[in-house]
Formats: sequence, C-alpha cells, structure tokens
Amino acid sequence: MAGRLLALSARSIKARPVPLGAAGAHSNPALDATRAMIGNREIVGYGMNGQPHYYDRSDIPLPAIRWKEATADIKCLREKEKGDWRQLSMEEKKALYRASFKLTYSEFKAPTGEWKQIVGASLMLVSVALWFYMAVRVVTRVPLPDSFSEEKQQAQLRRILDLHVNPITGLSSQWDYEKDDWKK
Amino acid sequence: MPIFHRFIDFFNRPDIDGWDVRQGINDILMFDMVPDPKVVIAALYACRRVNDYAITVRFLEAVKNKCGSLESQIYPWMIQEIAPVLCELGVDTPEGLGYDQPELHLDSVFDMH
Repeated sequence: MAGRLLALSARSIKARPVPLGAAGAHSNPALDATRAMIGNREIVGYGMNGQPHYYDRSDIPLPAIRWKEATADIKCLREKEKGDWRQLSMEEKKALYRASFKLTYSEFKAPTGEWKQIVGASLMLVSVALWFYMAVRVVTRVPLPDSFSEEKQQAQLRRILDLHVNPITGLSSQWDYEKDDWKK
Repeated sequence: MPIFHRFIDFFNRPDIDGWDVRQGINDILMFDMVPDPKVVIAALYACRRVNDYAITVRFLEAVKNKCGSLESQIYPWMIQEIAPVLCELGVDTPEGLGYDQPELHLDSVFDMH
C-alpha cells in the first residue's frame, strides 16, 4: 500500500513538465556574469590568472580574451586565416592583430610624458611652500636687540680680545698685544 | 643554455588547442631568459596548427621585449635563426607589419575619470 503510493507519486513527479525557456536558459549565472562583463568576446586562454580579462602587459603577452567582439568581417577573416597565411594581405594581417589585441608592444610601452606633469606639480607645490616661508619671515620680523649696534659689537670684540679667546689658532692669535692692533 | 625539450614536445603535439598554445607561450616567456630558437620555432608551428595569426606576431614582439637591454645583439640573431620558418609559414615580423613604431594611440583606462 505505501509502496503503491510511493510509485504513484514518483510517476506524477516524472510527468510534471520541466520549465523551458527563460528559466532554463539562465542555468549558468557565472557565464552570464562573464558575458555581461566582456560582451561577445571569445575566451581564448588562461591569461594571467584564469579570469577572463583583457590586458596589455609586456611580461605576459597573451591575454585570456580577444579584444574585439566577433563581427561578420572578423569571422570571415578567421576563415581566411585557416588557409595559407601568405595569401593574407597586409591590411588583413593588421586587422587580425587588432581584432585580438588592443595595442602593440611599442604602443603600450611608449613614453607618456607623465614625468613632466609630476615634476611640474611638485615644483609648483615647493614654490607655494617657499612663498609661505617668506611670508612668515616678513610677518614675524622683530627689531634686533640693542646689543647689535656698532658700538656695542666693538665693545664685545674688545672684551673677546682681552679674554684671549682662542689664542693659538683663532681670533686672539691675529691680535698683536704689544702694539694693541691686528697683526700685519 | 637550456633548451627545454619539454616545451618543444608540448608545442609539437599535433592535437594542441589554442588554450594550450597561449598557456605555453606565456609560460616560456615567464622564465628569466630569451627562449631558444628551437622553442620559438615549435611555438610558431603550434600557432599555425591552431590557425591563429595574431598570436605569432604578439609572440615575436614578446621575444623581442624579453631581450631587454641586449636587444640589438640578440633579436637580429633570433630572427636570422627562425627566418626559414617565418618564410615557410608566411608570418611577418613586427617590423614587417610596421608595429615596431607606435601606430595607434588610445587613452589608458587608468587615466579615464
């Protein structure tokens, strides 16, 4: 009795129609996400890390996907590519290259001149800093103390000589103490 | 100078497919050396077998880049060694296609705001 019920229910499950159409087509969300990212481009290899990204790198030349989507004229070039390559014209060879790759080695390695922007911007910032420095020096200027006046500096020099400061190789060695004047 | 017979045997497989050719080319260029001409020739024949012309030119550009600062010494010798195969397969060198000088300029994606 239980077995008969089980068999009946199994047959009804088998008889239920499997949903086709939209629900059946989206059975691979990873592929849909990839196609949303790269469009119709053919995935041709492992690339750098297994992800279907395009890149131009000098150390890993062949990326995982082609650059251009397969249009009718590219498909027709692919048919021609299966034959003798000596039959391809120069434009067709270039078109085949550009279909798979965005930039050639000499193009993506070409100097960009970015260093000029960087040096220029750095020097501009340095000059702003110098302006700030000069402004600070101007704004914070105070009068010198009176010990900087000419008579007081001369009195200090007299005192240095009377104390025989640095007598062997310095200032007092240049002063003649008998004549009370600088040595000639 | 090691020749890497493994790579030559890998590229000489008659049933090789595009995925493996690209993997093999990326791998031989990962080593810190310019590939031996025998390996380059085997890879070019493998590209012919999978009917992909663009990767031959890209591979030759990559070999030239791999020469580094010694490019003027190594690259002409390399082209001379593989010249018969280039003639036989109808592969152009990058210079032959005019790709040794930049032809196209496209803005880098990193500069787009």
